[in-house]
Amino acid sequence: MANLYVQAVPPTDLNRNTEWFTYPGVWTTYILILFFSWLVVLSVFGCSPGMAWTIVHLSHFFVTYQCFHWKKGTPFSDDQGIYNRLTWWEQIDNGKQLTRNRKFLTVVPVVLYLIASHTTDYQHPMLFLNTLAVFILVVAKFPNMHKVRIFGINADQ
Amino acid sequence: MIKIPYLAALTTLFSYGLLFVFGQLRDFFRKIFDCWSHSKLQGYAPICLGLEDFYIRRLYLRIQDCFNRPISSPPDAWFDVVERVSNDNNKTLKRTTKVSRCLNLGSYNYLGFAAADEYCTPRVIESLKRFSPSTCSTRVDGGTTTLHTELEESVANFVGKPAAVVFGMGYVTNSAILPVLIGKGGLIISDSLNHNSIVNGARGSGATVRVFQHNTPYHLEKVLREQIAEGQPRTHRPWKKIIVVVEGIYSMEGELCKLPEIVAICKKSKAYVYLDEAHSIGAVGKTGRGVCELLGVDTADVDIMMGTFTKSFGSCGGYIAGSKELIKYLKYTCPAHVYATSISPPAAQQIISSIKVILGEDGSSRGAQKLARIRENCNFFRSELQKMGFEVLGDNDSPVMPIMLYNPSKIPAFSRECLKRNVAVVTVAFPATPLLLARARICISAAHTKEDLIKALEVISRVGDLVGIKYFPAEPKKQQLEETRVKFE
Repeated sequence: MANLYVQAVPPTDLNRNTEWFTYPGVWTTYILILFFSWLVVLSVFGCSPGMAWTIVHLSHFFVTYQCFHWKKGTPFSDDQGIYNRLTWWEQIDNGKQLTRNRKFLTVVPVVLYLIASHTTDYQHPMLFLNTLAVFILVVAKFPNMHKVRIFGINADQ
Repeated sequence: MIKIPYLAALTTLFSYGLLFVFGQLRDFFRKIFDCWSHSKLQGYAPICLGLEDFYIRRLYLRIQDCFNRPISSPPDAWFDVVERVSNDNNKTLKRTTKVSRCLNLGSYNYLGFAAADEYCTPRVIESLKRFSPSTCSTRVDGGTTTLHTELEESVANFVGKPAAVVFGMGYVTNSAILPVLIGKGGLIISDSLNHNSIVNGARGSGATVRVFQHNTPYHLEKVLREQIAEGQPRTHRPWKKIIVVVEGIYSMEGELCKLPEIVAICKKSKAYVYLDEAHSIGAVGKTGRGVCELLGVDTADVDIMMGTFTKSFGSCGGYIAGSKELIKYLKYTCPAHVYATSISPPAAQQIISSIKVILGEDGSSRGAQKLARIRENCNFFRSELQKMGFEVLGDNDSPVMPIMLYNPSKIPAFSRECLKRNVAVVTVAFPATPLLLARARICISAAHTKEDLIKALEVISRVGDLVGIKYFPAEPKKQQLEETRVKFE
């Protein structure tokens, strides 16, 4: 395992905030973090597996909504603020829609939703919360929602 | 093409995620505490927008003692590093009066001119007495002395172009020349890993900027063909001018540019070539004339050659070399020539003297010796590091060698452990390099002796074992190979 090497081509993305996502190993790390957080939730709370998946799904919703669709700009000032009006989701792949990375990131919450609702046997109120979460996340990732701010929420002055 | 060990990629992403999460938590609690305390500046706008300084406050400040270390002697092969202490966990650092004598593996001192030199320093002191430290004027008003004209002729002669113009600062040379050469309606195609000065100049010029994959000529060709076919954005008119900007040696990778292929492609598409030789002038090539000499490219094919004097010549400033008409035009229009103070006379004399030493015109063969020594040193060092199992980037003959660290926690570990053993290295992290690819950059100099290099190798090997950065399998030592050979016989 230690002798596994991957070749990486330096990407042509000038935005340092998003170009790390094009390197190999990102998708695996994402899935592994979700899986390990499920194990951690199971061991800390001692609840049923379905409840743990629901907790993972909902906290994943909060974290990814905050990071991808709420916070705007970049965490460093080298680029002189040219991305200050764009959320991380709008910045990746230079704004090109329907790339492989974007499709992967859209599929992950849907798969989590299916696992969470299956393991809780589609009971309320978990089903309602899960459905709401996945609905908001998937709609936020539509290509038509690029740079759209509904009702002026999260818009600039 | 970089070879990343898969496990290192996974752990690096996880570490950065953890650091990010902890930073966000701390920010959250800081916001709560700040709500309670009253700010004296009611009604003033904040200096930084919410997210802008996150990286500096929560990640960079934690390992601040590995960067910006003050030194108190000239940056020769051995120098004095001032020790600093911190009482509040690296948020502020205070200098102490103690210094430690360390081996210098970080300065761009490629030919050893950074410290006092037997030919250059007396002449520099004499010109200091004769001309005073500053010309106190721009080139146009009263700042052109005989030294400046001599310097420009000598640089043009050295580089192999008809004429040259010299500026007081290397960064400014790039960022003030590109807006003058090209404007709106032009196209700049630059390598994806170009230096910040080029990025700044390209942004300031108003031209459209496109990026091609680092050092990949066929991608450059693809981008050129696409852009020429499409024309200017929205109007689709043909481009007024196309400039392709590449560097001789990339300072973060230590790689040489694939100049022959790139020049051939640009000739086919009638695009101009702008070569930034900041790190390669004086350090590579048989007589030190840079990457054109090393790779066998005719200097008449490269339209604009830019370089700096900070690296191999031990001075400061930058130059642009090109055809006589180009330099004449630049002297009328470039703001760095018309409005900025001219290069300081002692600095100019240092460059003139060091060029004379490199070319052997001072009557000794020290220049040729220095060039041979830096080539031997860097090839020896690189092959030894690779034999030990480190992942070292860069081509042979390039004096810059980055050692890959990857994990963000290995950056301060490597830096501090090396400093404890009196070896000073420069570590580079995000955002100067891509997120995953943090590295320690070693710059070899002609002033390093063989003993210095062997000591450095021992220390780096020891620290590499401690920190765990020997990602590639180490080659077995020669004695073991001979033993196995004897057994077969």
